[in-house]
Amino acid sequence: MHLEGLRVLGYPEFFAQKYFEENIDEIIFQDVVASLYKRNQLTSLTNKISKNIFVPITVGGGIRNVSDIKEILINGADRVSINTAAVNDKKFIKESVKVFGSSTITITIESSKVGERYKVYTDSGRTETNINTFEWIKEVQDMGVGEIILTSINNEGTGKGFDLNLYEKASKICNISLLAHGGTRNSEDIYKLFINTDIDGAIIASAFHYNYYKELLNKKKISLRGSTNFLVNQDFKNIFFFGVKDLKKYLKSKNISIR
Amino acid sequence: MINKPLIGIIDISINNILSIKRAFQNIGSKVIVIDEQRNVEKFDIIVLPGVGAYHEAMKKLRDTKLILSIEQALNKNKSFLGICLGMQLLFEESEEFGLTKGIGFFKGKVKNFNKFNVEKQTFIGWNRVKFSKKIISMPKKYIEKNLLNSAFYFVHSFFVNCENKEIETGTSYNGKLNFSSIVKKDKVVAFQFHPEKSGNNGLILLKSMVKNILQ
Repeated sequence: MHLEGLRVLGYPEFFAQKYFEENIDEIIFQDVVASLYKRNQLTSLTNKISKNIFVPITVGGGIRNVSDIKEILINGADRVSINTAAVNDKKFIKESVKVFGSSTITITIESSKVGERYKVYTDSGRTETNINTFEWIKEVQDMGVGEIILTSINNEGTGKGFDLNLYEKASKICNISLLAHGGTRNSEDIYKLFINTDIDGAIIASAFHYNYYKELLNKKKISLRGSTNFLVNQDFKNIFFFGVKDLKKYLKSKNISIR
Repeated sequence: MINKPLIGIIDISINNILSIKRAFQNIGSKVIVIDEQRNVEKFDIIVLPGVGAYHEAMKKLRDTKLILSIEQALNKNKSFLGICLGMQLLFEESEEFGLTKGIGFFKGKVKNFNKFNVEKQTFIGWNRVKFSKKIISMPKKYIEKNLLNSAFYFVHSFFVNCENKEIETGTSYNGKLNFSSIVKKDKVVAFQFHPEKSGNNGLILLKSMVKNILQ
């Protein structure tokens, strides 16, 4: 919640496979604390996850240089997403766009509303910067990247719905692909997002993960490491979930153009 | 099928061919990566994939002499599949960074979206493809149900709008601009989209093509 209190839900490759089978449009795989712990283990995981998945895959977390990107792409990702390194080193982003092309570079922006201002954060929402979110969107576009993922730290994991004000403003100034992340409570939230803003896509994590985790957990009987209390105690307070197919059916019934 | 169809994928190492390789393996083909000039006689299909810059790709094809393998395949009327940049390379020239000469199998010029009134100058995402002609022989009901007007995955800032409507077998829109998303002449088929990233429909399309070619 708010990018904190990470919970173990199972093995990412099982989730990826399940989502592909259910007709998901894209898969984003994020090692959320990679920058914080300065680790880099995405390469082998990318290879494993992408094995039987034939939709686009974006991989992010702790990417710091051109060779990091190359390794991830060679192992089956279509795009990489970068947050912390983009804020710290703009030259790196410009170089990456030149080497790999606009459409390969996605910038993740973690934004939190502080007073009346939307500020940019790095290191998975832990480090506050003095950058204004909307200024940063413009700057990132000018660097030539192909896509922006805009995460609302205030709403992420809360089930409060999307921060429509944030996405409406952001989509007005953004002329590249813009994806919204953070706060989905139910299908209606996604419908509201699409009719009220000019956003290109919605990123859903918890709502899908919780919908499938029970079924996927039993696929491999290996003890999970990390914070598994949640799984043991089945603590479902404030968690809402739905499946990929149900969501698509709902959006279609509302005349939202969807694959 | 007794023998697995043999697919040769041209690798100019500016693109990631892993997913194309895996997609063909997934539908039951054998894949060999072609990264230097060789005789392509024994292959059932030659695939020219591609993501990236046009001039860079043409330069690599010439430097590695892979262009000769491609020309051999095209001259010998071998089944050939171009994907994304691989489709654009099959045309005469591209206006990316001035003008770059292409392979020239199809007549026409690759143009930049940024000179047109389009919805997205770099299009990343799902877009509908309208099949104007049959590219593969499948039961009509099947095509209608699964492929006609379904969405495929596109990543591109450049496009082709074929003047020769004879070869244009699929079309798509970016904003109000209509462009060619599938072209076909003889045994050469090319997609602007990525079938290997277009979910089950993409795999179905590839599988049907392979099956069709081997019949």
